Amino acid sequence: MASIPFSRPEPLAPPPALSLARIPWVPIVLTTIALTYLALFLFVPLAAVFHEALKKGWGVYLAAIADPDAWSAIKLTLLAAVIAVPLNLVFGVAAAWAIAKFDFRGKNLLITLIDLPFSVSPVISGLIYVLIFGLQGWLGPWLAAHDLKIIFAVPGIVLATLFVTFPFVARELIPLMQAQGREEEEAAAVLGASGWQTLWRVTLPNVKWGLLYGVILCNARAMGEFGAVSVVSGHIRGLTNTLPLHIEIVYNEYQFAAAFACASLLALLALVTLALKTLVEARAHKEYSR
Amino acid sequence: MSIQVRNVSKNFGNFSALNGVSLDIEPGELVALLGPSGSGKTTLLRVIAGLERPDSGQIYFSGEDTTETRVQEREVGFVFQHYALFRHMTIFENVAFGLRVRPRKERPAEAEVQERVHKLLNLVQLDWLADRYPHQLSGGQRQRIALARALAIEPKVLLLDEPFGALDAKVRKELRRWLRRLHDEINLTSVFVTHDQEEALEVADRIVVVNQGKIEQVGTPEAVYDHPATAFVYQFLGNVNQFHGRVRRGIATFGSKTLAAPEHETVEDAAATAYVRPHDIDIARAPGIASMPATVSHALRVGPVVRLELSRDDNGELVEVEVPRERFDDLGVAAGNVVHLTPRRAKVFLETPHAAVGARP
Repeated sequence: MASIPFSRPEPLAPPPALSLARIPWVPIVLTTIALTYLALFLFVPLAAVFHEALKKGWGVYLAAIADPDAWSAIKLTLLAAVIAVPLNLVFGVAAAWAIAKFDFRGKNLLITLIDLPFSVSPVISGLIYVLIFGLQGWLGPWLAAHDLKIIFAVPGIVLATLFVTFPFVARELIPLMQAQGREEEEAAAVLGASGWQTLWRVTLPNVKWGLLYGVILCNARAMGEFGAVSVVSGHIRGLTNTLPLHIEIVYNEYQFAAAFACASLLALLALVTLALKTLVEARAHKEYSR
Repeated sequence: MSIQVRNVSKNFGNFSALNGVSLDIEPGELVALLGPSGSGKTTLLRVIAGLERPDSGQIYFSGEDTTETRVQEREVGFVFQHYALFRHMTIFENVAFGLRVRPRKERPAEAEVQERVHKLLNLVQLDWLADRYPHQLSGGQRQRIALARALAIEPKVLLLDEPFGALDAKVRKELRRWLRRLHDEINLTSVFVTHDQEEALEVADRIVVVNQGKIEQVGTPEAVYDHPATAFVYQFLGNVNQFHGRVRRGIATFGSKTLAAPEHETVEDAAATAYVRPHDIDIARAPGIASMPATVSHALRVGPVVRLELSRDDNGELVEVEVPRERFDDLGVAAGNVVHLTPRRAKVFLETPHAAVGARP
């Protein structure tokens, strides 16, 4: 009999580990560089913020935060976030759903537009609103005639915050939804589910961790935004100062302890955000990796 | 319920996925759409389901035009290639989904949902998995759950896209038989898409061979296998040898061999190809009338048959022959031996189809 045996291919050797890692001192040096960098540019400033804030004791610290101007800045910051985050949540879900699950003309344009706030300097974003709604701007005379104030008032701050934070939720959801494909939505449709039922029962539960992650980032940016808000705010104490703007003013007045006390609030927000982000990422990783 | 597809076309950009397809599916039939990838078979299935809108043409369910009916209202069961189970729901909730999303008036009570879902899970023999999540199941189990979910809405037709494509060979075979039995039991008009000819031949009542957006042939498995209507069907279903030559007034000449081709009697002179199945070739050590000498390159024992690869002595072309093991042992041939081949059955197709009398390629 003349059967020809199949020649079995040689088992592939495992790819050689990165050869640098075999030299004993290389990992140590690399780790040291990375840790030094982190310490210098992250941990030291963070520690400095809390150190400076508490330098003159808890009394001064609490007084700085309880100051009426500081308190109104905190409230305005919270207000801007409370308006901007839910709106961007709705917008982000709608945009991501449209982009990931449907085909339409101008889709790439929409994706580019969503990225716009990332690529435009925040100061420019603020200036755009001044040019549109400011006294010398396009709509300025009309607004003035109707006694509507947008620039140097709360609406302008909310608008600027909305603009700089609107990519966060959409950007987080689009790749996730695209990776999940359309089959589950199609399956839901064949089983008789309407668009709303599909969104609530299939699409959103599948992206809930990504959504939460996007909201956390969006919120952090909304509360921390400086540039765009600074342009439209007018820095009226007790009226149009957000927390980051208030910190700048107090600092410029050489009230360092008070400035750092308020700054520590933002630093705390950053730490909480970081903790939540890590938690959500861990949960999401556990669920999506199955 | 019967399905009629009338003259359906569908394009994706410049690509023509379906090109004037018409098809009749009888109530209770199990039909396979068979074709290579990119042939348009999945698109046809999705058009029937309502997941794609045809550019032109109509779909009728029991004689009723459903072309404009939304997918939600078509009452079809659809099993996706990769199952598309809802990953965040338990198996029970997956199967119950179709019942829970019904309008409030038609929605069954919780007790009825429980009863129906458990009945379906029992039907697919997976009731014990009700509380698990899809990622905890094997491929074959997911496939059966996808089927149970599709059946939960009591569909009028069942459509399956490559139902066994993502499974390993053994599970695939089991599930194939199981699906056939299930179909005989519930007797629901069913259409499934496959690129695997063996699967289509084994499971389906009728096979629809699809190629390049068109239907090549519709028929029972025996009909399409034994009497392929086109050269494509011949090549696609089973192994086949091709002999290139010419046809002149009903006589086909292939190298040193001539064949009668009465169906091409009107053809003056045209290039033609004869298709011969490997098991339709006789092999002998001595030359016969109009036999073809060839040299054995190798012989491979595959179960009860021996598969021989030979090269023709006149033009070196490769020929594949299958003979029963006993016959091979009687012959006593080995690699390098010269043998003589005689095709028992051949089908001749012109290379330029529909060439008229006197046409010269």
